Amino acid sequence: MKPAPTLLSSAFLQPAGQALPEPLLALRRQRGAALVDMPLPTRKTENWKYSSKYLKLTDEIAGSLPATGKTGSALAVPGYKVVFINGVMVPEASEYPDLNDILIQRFGDLSEAEANELAERLDSTLDTRTVQFAGLNSARFEDGLLIRLKPNAVLDKPLFIIHEVTASTSGSAFPRVFVDAGRNSQITLVEEYFSSGQEAALVNTVTEFNLADGANVTNIRLNMDGENVQHIGATGVRQQRNSRFESHCMGFGGPLRRHDLQVWLEGEGAECKLNGVVVTQGSQHYDNHTTIEHVAAHCNSEETYRNIAADKSHAVFNGRIHIHKDAQKSNANMNNKNLLLSTGAEIDTKPELEIYADDVKCAHGATIGQLDEESLFYLVSRGIGRREANVLLTMAFINELVAQIPVDAVKDTMQTRLNQFFDQAFQEV
Amino acid sequence: MLSIKNLHASVEGNEILKGINLEIKAGEVHAIMGPNGSGKSTLAQVLAGNEAFEVTAGEVTLNGDNLMEKATEDRAREGVFLAFQYPVEIPGVSNLQFMRTAVNAMRHHRGEPEMNAAEFMKLAREVSKQVDLDPAFLKRGVNEGFSGGEKKRNEIMQALLLQPKLAILDETDSGLDIDALKVVADGVNALRSEDRAILMVTHYQRLLDHIVPDHVHVLADGKIVKSGGRELALELEERGYAWLGIREDDVAASSAN
Repeated sequence: MKPAPTLLSSAFLQPAGQALPEPLLALRRQRGAALVDMPLPTRKTENWKYSSKYLKLTDEIAGSLPATGKTGSALAVPGYKVVFINGVMVPEASEYPDLNDILIQRFGDLSEAEANELAERLDSTLDTRTVQFAGLNSARFEDGLLIRLKPNAVLDKPLFIIHEVTASTSGSAFPRVFVDAGRNSQITLVEEYFSSGQEAALVNTVTEFNLADGANVTNIRLNMDGENVQHIGATGVRQQRNSRFESHCMGFGGPLRRHDLQVWLEGEGAECKLNGVVVTQGSQHYDNHTTIEHVAAHCNSEETYRNIAADKSHAVFNGRIHIHKDAQKSNANMNNKNLLLSTGAEIDTKPELEIYADDVKCAHGATIGQLDEESLFYLVSRGIGRREANVLLTMAFINELVAQIPVDAVKDTMQTRLNQFFDQAFQEV
Repeated sequence: MLSIKNLHASVEGNEILKGINLEIKAGEVHAIMGPNGSGKSTLAQVLAGNEAFEVTAGEVTLNGDNLMEKATEDRAREGVFLAFQYPVEIPGVSNLQFMRTAVNAMRHHRGEPEMNAAEFMKLAREVSKQVDLDPAFLKRGVNEGFSGGEKKRNEIMQALLLQPKLAILDETDSGLDIDALKVVADGVNALRSEDRAILMVTHYQRLLDHIVPDHVHVLADGKIVKSGGRELALELEERGYAWLGIREDDVAASSAN
């Protein structure tokens, strides 16, 4: 007899924050109703099989974290800035331009008509059957950021969205971002996630991008949430003709880290470049699930992910490429390399290729290894200390991807965090 | 300077070095020759501290200090340098970063201030000219995509930068054409000095035309079976190893190097 599945607790279906236009409140109610029977993933749930054991959605963290607080962010922001605390925008901490061709608005400030239009488009970039928790965000978001670029608009500096969670009490936060990039428009969007406080918390995010013909969007996502914060995020991307999407997903582990990235190449000539670096230590976890849907012909995708797992930590990479039957001349390249820094660490990697067109180029490669003993010996034979040699070799594994982060301030933040990681992972001997 | 007494070493239970005795004084250049599989490279690796080899007996001292008790990096800091037979490629670590880290580790050990990037760049450019290596190689990954000859020159460049007390050159001549051999030999000759010892491991005598050794030793089956002056190398070149009672094929087959 099959045991009854454990359902998502009804405590998670109580949205807070009513300061939204009615169409968005209606959407929330509708999405919430759809989750009433949502079974929690188990190890038998294919896309959660390595990660379900880390998921701890207790009633304790079900309630919304208070939508107040002062940002404790010390992150350098050489650009425009929008600060979200516990999923709610903090206007007084935000600085962004008021432009005619680039509209940056919080959901609460939208007109009824704008909210109506948005409500129809939310979740349209994600397959919510495989990205189950996007629906939870849709049922719970209390605020959000809508960014609309008119045709040919170019945002001259990166826009940083600082997502802070104040876990001084237990609870959840549901940040939401929707980007509509018009024809030939251009934007670099940086999303930085971090937390303060030591209580158990959940961050459940959804970020969506729509790229019209020729649009060029760069998205950097840096996850530095704290030791007691479970993070379940999703990014959905729809790309029209000749658009280009570049993503840099950088993250450090936690009790649960999950990011789903879905890209739909729907117009001919669209291309995406997806880079990812994950670093875990202690008993941390991190799971990246990516899907690239080659729907239209003549599209290119290039994906490079690296995982580094130390101690008893656990990293997961699942990369799916789906080439639809009309997507002739698709060019898809996926590469995932993994570095285990200890015998107690675990990395699971799974490339999934599903190809229905017959004239395509599709390559994938995945490796798992340890630091090379010969290389280590070579370095220490020159007088370089063990710790430094380990750091050099570990950095060598991800250097290329860190160097490609197109915003120096993020690169610096990443390097600072990496140095902290090295301090803990490699003790001086 | 270097004193090796009754050194035994094995790898995965196979004894490769079976009692090596060797004394090298400061200022001297010694060549160790021998057929494949005789243990030449093992000796070089053991001296540098490769933990893949287990030292089962014997004693090695450098200026009176017990070398075998020290970690690889400490041996290097005390002045041991091994030019690898097969230098390792390390993509992702630039040659420049690697060499500066090494030089600064040595300087730190000696209590000297570290060299900043600009100072080191200047030094590295000079030394790269000395070994005829295009400075563009400094920006590449360590040995990444280097030809055999370029790798060997890169090794000599490191020796020139690190100025070791004991330089061990493992088959530094192999895979070099005559021009490259000359460049490498010039580099090694530039290393010769009164307070430095050089130990060359080589299969062929041709390197010894360019770097004239003070002493030549023949290693066979893990032991030094004959020692002499440079004329011994010439004799080996002419007569092979058979006259010493060494059957090359057997040795090579019985213990892989």
